[in-house]
Amino acid sequence: MSIVAPQTKPPIWRNGTVLKWAAQIGVFAGVAALGWILVSTAMANMRAQGVSFDWEFLTDPPGIQLAEGIFTRPASGLEVFATGIVNMLRITVSGIVAATFLGVVIGISRLSSNWLLSKLSTFFIETIRNIPLLVQIVFWFFLCSLFFPALNGVDAGPIPGWLVVTRKGISLPWIFPQQTFWQWLVFVAAGVVAARWMVRRRVRQLEETGQNTHPGRYGFLVFVAFAAVGWWAHPLAGALGWVWQLLAGIVATVPLIGWQLVLGGAAVFLAARWIFRFLDSRRTPAGLARLTDDDYFRMFLAGALGLIGAGVFLLVPGLTDLIARVTEFVLRFFDAKFDFLRTGAPLALGRPSIVTPGRFPQIGPTGMTLTPAFFGVWVGVTLYTAAFIAEIVRGGILAVSRGQTEAGLALGLKRGRLLRMIVLPQAFRIILPPMGNQYLNLAKNTSLGIAVAYAEPIQVGQTLFNQTGDTIQVFVLWMAFYLAVSLVLSSIVNWYNRKLALVER
Amino acid sequence: MENGKKDIIVCEGVKKWFGDFQALRGVTTTVAEGEVVVVIGPSGSGKSTFIRCINRLEVHQEGRIIVDGIELTSDVRNVEKIRSEVGMVFQQFNLFPHLTVLQNITLAQTWVRKRTRADAEAKAQALLERVGIPEQAAKYPGQLSGGQQQRVAIARALAMDPKVMLFDEPTSALDPEMIKEVLDVMKELAHTGMTIVAVTHEMGFAREVADRVSFFDQGQIIEEGTPEHFFTDPQHDRTKLFLSQIL
Amino acid sequence: MAEVRVAREIRPPEPPPEASQLGFVVWLRKNLFNSPFNSVLTVIGLVGVFFGARSGLAFLLADERRWSVIPPNATNYAVEAYLRDSLERIWISVAIVAVLAGLSTSIWRPTGKTSWGKVVAGLRGFGAAALVLGFLTPGGFGPRNLIMIVGAAMIIATAVALRRLRERAKVETIPTLAVLSAAIVVVLAVIWAMPIASSTQIPWTVMLVTGVVAYLLGRLVVARSSLRVLKTAVVAAWVLSLPVIYMTVQRGPIIPWDRVGSWLPGIAAVTIIGLGAIRLVTRLDRERAALVNAALLAASIGVWFVSIPMIVRFLMIAATVFSLAAPTFAASSRGARNFSIGWVAIVLFITYFVTMSLTSRGLETRVELLGGMNVTFLLAIGGMLLSFPLGIMLALGRTSTMPVFRLMSTGYIEVVRGVPLITVLFFGDKVVPRFLPPGLDFEGVVKAVMVIALFSAAYLAENVRGGLQSVSSGQREAARALGMTTGQMTMLITLPQALRAVIPALVGQVISLFKDTSLVAIIGLADFFRVARDIVPNQPVSLGSVIENLVLAAVVYWVFTFSFSRASLRLERRLGVGTR
Repeated sequence: MSIVAPQTKPPIWRNGTVLKWAAQIGVFAGVAALGWILVSTAMANMRAQGVSFDWEFLTDPPGIQLAEGIFTRPASGLEVFATGIVNMLRITVSGIVAATFLGVVIGISRLSSNWLLSKLSTFFIETIRNIPLLVQIVFWFFLCSLFFPALNGVDAGPIPGWLVVTRKGISLPWIFPQQTFWQWLVFVAAGVVAARWMVRRRVRQLEETGQNTHPGRYGFLVFVAFAAVGWWAHPLAGALGWVWQLLAGIVATVPLIGWQLVLGGAAVFLAARWIFRFLDSRRTPAGLARLTDDDYFRMFLAGALGLIGAGVFLLVPGLTDLIARVTEFVLRFFDAKFDFLRTGAPLALGRPSIVTPGRFPQIGPTGMTLTPAFFGVWVGVTLYTAAFIAEIVRGGILAVSRGQTEAGLALGLKRGRLLRMIVLPQAFRIILPPMGNQYLNLAKNTSLGIAVAYAEPIQVGQTLFNQTGDTIQVFVLWMAFYLAVSLVLSSIVNWYNRKLALVER
Repeated sequence: MENGKKDIIVCEGVKKWFGDFQALRGVTTTVAEGEVVVVIGPSGSGKSTFIRCINRLEVHQEGRIIVDGIELTSDVRNVEKIRSEVGMVFQQFNLFPHLTVLQNITLAQTWVRKRTRADAEAKAQALLERVGIPEQAAKYPGQLSGGQQQRVAIARALAMDPKVMLFDEPTSALDPEMIKEVLDVMKELAHTGMTIVAVTHEMGFAREVADRVSFFDQGQIIEEGTPEHFFTDPQHDRTKLFLSQIL
Repeated sequence: MAEVRVAREIRPPEPPPEASQLGFVVWLRKNLFNSPFNSVLTVIGLVGVFFGARSGLAFLLADERRWSVIPPNATNYAVEAYLRDSLERIWISVAIVAVLAGLSTSIWRPTGKTSWGKVVAGLRGFGAAALVLGFLTPGGFGPRNLIMIVGAAMIIATAVALRRLRERAKVETIPTLAVLSAAIVVVLAVIWAMPIASSTQIPWTVMLVTGVVAYLLGRLVVARSSLRVLKTAVVAAWVLSLPVIYMTVQRGPIIPWDRVGSWLPGIAAVTIIGLGAIRLVTRLDRERAALVNAALLAASIGVWFVSIPMIVRFLMIAATVFSLAAPTFAASSRGARNFSIGWVAIVLFITYFVTMSLTSRGLETRVELLGGMNVTFLLAIGGMLLSFPLGIMLALGRTSTMPVFRLMSTGYIEVVRGVPLITVLFFGDKVVPRFLPPGLDFEGVVKAVMVIALFSAAYLAENVRGGLQSVSSGQREAARALGMTTGQMTMLITLPQALRAVIPALVGQVISLFKDTSLVAIIGLADFFRVARDIVPNQPVSLGSVIENLVLAAVVYWVFTFSFSRASLRLERRLGVGTR
């Protein structure tokens, strides 16, 4: 039997592929049109109000002061944001470390056979989790700023000279980076690379000869050697200053239109590369595979997106301007950190001190001082995240199958060792992805610092747009910053996750 | 008891409840050194619970269990001692997926038996040789077939030089073609004089190597005897019924 | 070798050994001192708890704390600056909720039962807590001793009761509803007995009576009509109650009847068009139905270019949506009837909503009338209701096979999840007005509801996506094999299973949404938290009572979230979520 009816193409209004793509393109066009209407309205509004959409405020003196951070009297909008970002990262990094530690301890305690310990952990978790973080941050802030001991004289603190706890803040001894720190950091980074190379080399030897070549020990020694040499040899790294200077000069001298062309070209190039790679992936040994309608639409979409990207770069100089300004700022920042003539130790210990500039004593700048705002945000986000991490840890441990525990017990392993060697390593794999989410939440939750006037990106941004009225620009910067943080954190977690993945058949 | 061999496992009226359900209704039996006991019975008859009571993975509520002269009580030290003397092989293998085969076998040797790493690794390699998979030492459990995994699990238990080996349905989770390779290892083990208590549905194995077959039903031993007696001349009606259903 | 041994008989099962009355000492040894390490932990823990709790209580109960300023501010916490002579509007809205709650209980009849043992054990826990708190509270005689005596008395009484009950303690005979009602009555009695919120004694009693009457009425109605219809009606009423309450509280009831009258022909025409379209679309074959839909779509765009009342334009869009959805929901004749009824109900509701929106405010005061707990509830409930459909749509988009939808949904979800809520709130507060034509802006609360919904939807979408991925592809294949369209497959097969699988995650999201509403305090809305943080501590009578108010806020939020999460746990256990 053979097919007698001729093969017909369906009419266009019944062709599934065409309908599918028509719907998609239609919706996309609708969204794009809506976006266009909104943008043009915004432009009209701004023109009517005499506000222009530009990034001048990033380099202009902002005329504001910040409560704490690296630039308390910032010279430009970029310095304002840099201060906010550094303040935010301070809490994020130290908070992640502390919350992880606390969360793991509490999560394990909750599973403990000790009734009191397990109930206390449950109490902690249920209390902290069910109260909004904002309430907690404000509570800790007021607790510190209203109820800690008043700062009365030079002998303040539980341990004068080492630990000062007062209403104006908490001051601790700390190892501070000095002006040669960044030059030293270059040697430390080189040490990491060299140590990595050494470890690989020793591992290869181990595999070849079968003798234990102590790769870890050798790697560590190499790292220490680099760090130690760098401690004195760091002025050599000052040569890098010229490189930064040169790059910054290039960024500053090339006219804006040049960067617009480069970025627009990059967008087109990326789209073209995607299309060619796509074609390659469709190529079989027998030649180019027959492309479906879907494939043509895909390539068309990629090309259109590339062209739109190029168009945006070419037609909206503001965007390119922003990228160029930020790049130059970063390069100049590095440039300022490197100089042949700088000498001295890269790190130095600083201890808390009390100074009396006017009539009232204040905490001096020599120690690591945590303001009440910092204290509030830090304690708030750390405890809050720890409560969630504890629940994740508990869930992860419970998720390791009972058979694993039984097998360990049947081998005569003790409880503690069983937990450490069998259960925790497996639980860790389960825990990691949700843990990454919690870290991300912690990073985002630092934004609540605005409620206690902690100088983090949102707070400084708000201060800035109250001053200049550049609301949309500040909002764009916020988005870019937080998205970058999310991207970096989640790629670290993903990378680690892949590394840890169980080997399966 | 016979041949002057001492009893290594003594159970007297062992009873165990899960909530209101009574899983063991008074089990009394002994296992002599070097004896191979195969425990059979319908599912839910309490045979797995019984074998898990022997190294206290399940806690019995009444009766006494004495292993190698030590009574199982809530004394933690006794329990750990017994567990290191009694090897156990599980239905689901329960290999540690995050450790290599070699690490699986050396882990308890180093931490419980306190052997040096070199000794432990030599022992592990020898045992892998014995179970027929010396080339898999560096792989992870997830990369092995079920039969290979179970053989690693046997090697892991043997590495502790146990006086008794417990097998809890070691072949039930395996594909048919892999059952034989595991049974071969178990047979070889039985011939070397190891004391074995095995819960299994493999009647061929029971016939060939068992010194004694115990038939469990409704939480107690209904009938016990040598394989010849048991398979050719069962006494109890329940036993007859069971054998007629599976043979 | 061994002789053959045969059991003579099979022993009957015995009851488990009587759990020896766990002596206190045995319990201690088993749970607190079962190893040297644990003993050390226990001692450290006890000392820590003693000093920690003692200093905490000393701080909270110190003489400088002015807890007495909290009760006089009760109205502020509830409604903030809402016109004191219009409070009856708030009570009307509470009454709406009470009626709906009463009706719902009578229709769904919570069947949960509990045992005397559990109730008594709960009371004993209460007594023990009182005793421990009294013990830890520093200071001399006074209320502390009274608390301790009450606690001790409760412990003794419950112990006696438990002994008396013996076997009966385990039997589950008491309906949960009765326990709940008893608790409500106790709360009411406290309001009457103590000078906490004396002005609300009568209204709250009226509310309780309203609820009970609604419950009894509901029982009557249930006895003589179809449960299915009632359930649908009550669910719809709950959904619609939110805007109704909002309008009740925010708008004067002065309806411009002349204008409404001039709309009537248009409304009637669109209603009939919609009914006709639903009827046609469900009877015709696919291509002709598509033609009808296309015509409606064209018409609903066309009406924006002719001068016609706004309401007709909205109704035309609604008619198009209904007609497009008809093949999925109204395939059977019964379904078509219900669908048509739904259409008429929606027309009535849109008419009501648009009428009220265009009505002048009637309440002559500030722009933001709502405040306090009212705003918190409005944000939480409104945000939740709006975010659900949006989240589901985003999840469907992200799992769709169409790349553009997938790209747009993924982009939206990832961007929103990547930024903190406060940036999105600022977006609504400061950036959105710049993108709208001059003069057009929404009320702050409404904008916050929308922003919170948009934010929460991205998180909900991820949860729903997890559920969608857990539905096996076999389910989809089976649906396809039965000839279902994509829409029917999604609405009838995939989504119901997916949503059921992720109920715990969805509840968690709702809880975190409730906590997140406190952030609107930062952009200046007078929600409960802002009232507690800024407004009350700045009132002359309660000046500077910051810590008292923060503790109050913490306790209030805690009570709501904790009871919600416990209730959802019960629900999960009942539904067997995750086990099936």
